[in-house]
Amino acid sequence: MLSLNTLIAASLGYAVLLFSIAFWAERRAKAGRIGWLRSPFVYTLSISVYCTGWTFYGAVGSAARNGFEFVTIYLGPTLVFIGWWWLLRKLLRVGRAQRITSIADLISSRYGKSTTLAVLVTMLAVIGSTPYIALQLQSITLSFSVFESGGNANLTAFWVAAGLAVFTILFGTRNVDANERHHGVVTAIAIEAVVKLVALLSVGIFVVWGIGGGPAEIFAKAPPEMLRGDNIFSARWVSLTMLSAMAIITLPRMFQVIVVENSDEKHLATASWAFPGYLLLMSLFVLPIAIAGNALMPEGSNPDLYVLSLPLSQGQDNLALFAFLGGFSSATSMVIIAAIALSTMVSNHIIMPLWLRFAPERQETSGDVRTVLLRSRRLSIAGILLLGYLYFRLTGGSGALASIGLIAFAGTAQIIPSLLGGLFWRGATRTGALLGLLSGFALWAYTLFLPSFEGGFILSQAAIDGGPFGLSFLAPNALFGLTGFDPLVHSLFWSMTLNITFFVLGSLLSTPRPLERIQSSQFVDVFRLDKSTGSYLVSRSATSEDLFTLAQRILGVDPAQRLFSEMAMLQGKAHGLPDATDNLVQTLERELAGSVGAASAHAMVSQIAGGGTVSVDELMKIADETAQIVEYSQQLENQSHRLEQAMQELRAANAQLTEMGAQKDAFLSQVSHELRTPMTSIRSFSEILHDSENLDMQDAKRFLGIIQDESVRLTRLLDEILDLSHLESGRGQLLLEPVAVQVAIEKSLNATGALLEEAEICVENTLPKLPVMVMANFDRLAQVFINLISNTVKYGRGENPKLEISVTVSEKTAIVTMADNGPGIAEADRKKVFEKFARLSEASLAGSAGLGLPISREIMRNLKGNLTIKPSRSGAVFEVSIPLA
Amino acid sequence: MNTSDLAAGATRIRKIREAALLLPIFGAFLLVSPLLTVFTDANSLFGIPSVFIYVFGVWLGLVLIARAMARRLDKG
Repeated sequence: MLSLNTLIAASLGYAVLLFSIAFWAERRAKAGRIGWLRSPFVYTLSISVYCTGWTFYGAVGSAARNGFEFVTIYLGPTLVFIGWWWLLRKLLRVGRAQRITSIADLISSRYGKSTTLAVLVTMLAVIGSTPYIALQLQSITLSFSVFESGGNANLTAFWVAAGLAVFTILFGTRNVDANERHHGVVTAIAIEAVVKLVALLSVGIFVVWGIGGGPAEIFAKAPPEMLRGDNIFSARWVSLTMLSAMAIITLPRMFQVIVVENSDEKHLATASWAFPGYLLLMSLFVLPIAIAGNALMPEGSNPDLYVLSLPLSQGQDNLALFAFLGGFSSATSMVIIAAIALSTMVSNHIIMPLWLRFAPERQETSGDVRTVLLRSRRLSIAGILLLGYLYFRLTGGSGALASIGLIAFAGTAQIIPSLLGGLFWRGATRTGALLGLLSGFALWAYTLFLPSFEGGFILSQAAIDGGPFGLSFLAPNALFGLTGFDPLVHSLFWSMTLNITFFVLGSLLSTPRPLERIQSSQFVDVFRLDKSTGSYLVSRSATSEDLFTLAQRILGVDPAQRLFSEMAMLQGKAHGLPDATDNLVQTLERELAGSVGAASAHAMVSQIAGGGTVSVDELMKIADETAQIVEYSQQLENQSHRLEQAMQELRAANAQLTEMGAQKDAFLSQVSHELRTPMTSIRSFSEILHDSENLDMQDAKRFLGIIQDESVRLTRLLDEILDLSHLESGRGQLLLEPVAVQVAIEKSLNATGALLEEAEICVENTLPKLPVMVMANFDRLAQVFINLISNTVKYGRGENPKLEISVTVSEKTAIVTMADNGPGIAEADRKKVFEKFARLSEASLAGSAGLGLPISREIMRNLKGNLTIKPSRSGAVFEVSIPLA
Repeated sequence: MNTSDLAAGATRIRKIREAALLLPIFGAFLLVSPLLTVFTDANSLFGIPSVFIYVFGVWLGLVLIARAMARRLDKG
């Protein structure tokens, strides 16, 4: 038989070992050599803090009492972990993105960083965990009592609690940042996880093959009711599985190791199968040990302690010691982690807010806050362990281990609706969470927690049995007449029903505050947040696969593959498709816009990315239609090109018209000016004639002569204008006939003979002997010559005035040249003389120019010839070209 | 890697993700359902109650499937 001293020495030695391991790991981590301290297996082993002293000892006890049912406590977590992709991954991502420090912090953060919720969840956690910590202390003292009955259980519990407090304070509050990993603690927990697994397996193997004679022998000893069907699949079986599945997430210590202490999201992938595997090994020998214990141990021995008492009864002291250390490991690791988790909550959500409120003047120095924070955490740890110890003292270590554990499970499970709602339902609000938590917790306390004191606390035994004040429908174990159920199932049913109902109704009937709304999308859409940039990814319905197919359809197979490979490379993926990040969507949209235009590209991509109602198939149809659209748009482009050309032509025509309009305006204003001059004199002279009474005959005659002259001039002017407009419009087709140029010149000279003589102009004629025949209209040609001659008479007179007329014949045209020896026409004016009413400079023009020259040129152009001015040294030289007949 | 591999790989990853979502439901169907009663009444196997073998067998199967899927999900 082992002595108590050996036992104490072993536990102390084991504790020293754990301290040194924790210390060494802490040192190593500080030096930056984290290495395997952060391997996925250490993470998995740290999660095994789920298996507490209650599991180590209590599972066998539970199996001995209730048969196969114990396994549900492990099946729930197994289902949660193999479904990690659905829930735990999201929880981890949210925890990381929001820098969550505890389950209370998570709930508070999700519902608009509500202090009320944080305090409520913290209190829930403390109330739920205190019995649980007491349970661990109890399991340790019980295990001591197996070796040495009559020892002081309270003293043992006290020293265990004190030792755990010291360890937790030493390694659990090294740094202020609750998000920083406790390397020392986690490493020690991992070692403990190995110890308890190996211990339980050793005991199991010893029981089955050492004393039982193989599994078949063992099971042959099993009482028949142990594995009965109605025992195995029942409401309790379902409830317990659900309960344990909820507890693995909401128990403060589980949240601590799974979410807060997690250093790499990828570790979860390993834990997803390794932790269920660990649980499987932990529970494999529970039933055989229970059966063997029931068969071999004397009547009245505590089934919770079969793990220890069986080896002891067979004289296996070392195995018993090992099993004792396994149980010790299970209990201590749970207490340590729970104390860290709870102290974080208590100090962050209760002590710190109070301190900040009551000591506002000390906030300025951050070092001060740090000290306060560390001190409050250390105090909280001590306080929580003290609370556990007090609970242990008060309850006197009564009750079966498993039932206390289940009560704690059911308490913390009340957080589940708010947690899951918060993660997956955007509409969940603070009011809903508050109402749900309060009602669920109240129901749990009333139907399960208070009755567990068996009349010792608030509710009397009479009230528990018959309902308060004799109101039987309010009986805690048969609420509203729901009888015939296991108390746990009954409590879980009512508390969850009310919790969920109030949570949903409260959320639907309340309006979230702005911060709540922001936080709700930060939680629900956490996977749409880009890890690196913090910007939103497209919704989960968007797969890069769909985008890839779309890109192939539109860009072509090779370019699409190039694009996606490049994007994958940029995202640091060696192979496979890139993630459907915002960046990918934008790039793809840009690329597609080059093919189908920005608007269609955006529509297509956002249909896929935005999870619109249009199916991918429909999109593919759109993509195929794009080819047609491209062709059509090319046609459109051609047409618009042609339109552009027409537009340019129209614009040119318009400019021409505008110019012509301006010319016409100028012409009209000139015409009216020219008409006005003779009209003015006609009017004034006729007024004189009309008004003067005694005007002598001579004057009257003179005035009448002026009036007549002016009238003639006016008529001529009007004739000319008519003639010009007639010619310009090209309406009056001139009748062409062969004409001898010499005859036309003769005719015009005869017509102007009197003028020439009067002006004393000497005409020098050098005309060919043979008639030069041209195609022309005789009268019009003569008119041109007459114009030119009279022009010379008017403006071309110099000293000894003379006019030289010559005719030369080229290949197809005859050219008539008329040159005078007058002042000539200045270079700048040569064009202007052909403009209607052009005002030439004073030197070359006395008075206004008539319409003679413009009419002459217009006639010549109508005759398919031309009239030009030749540059010369002196005098004006006009050249008339006429096509030969 | 050619195009069809790329797309096929993506499809495969998506299917594994969908399977990962269904695995716990599948597990719950096997372990938390009246199916269990079928095995409680069945005969023992090598002296071990068949319900014991069934529960632990399914459990082990789930662990192995989860392991296979976790490796693929981790890569994707």
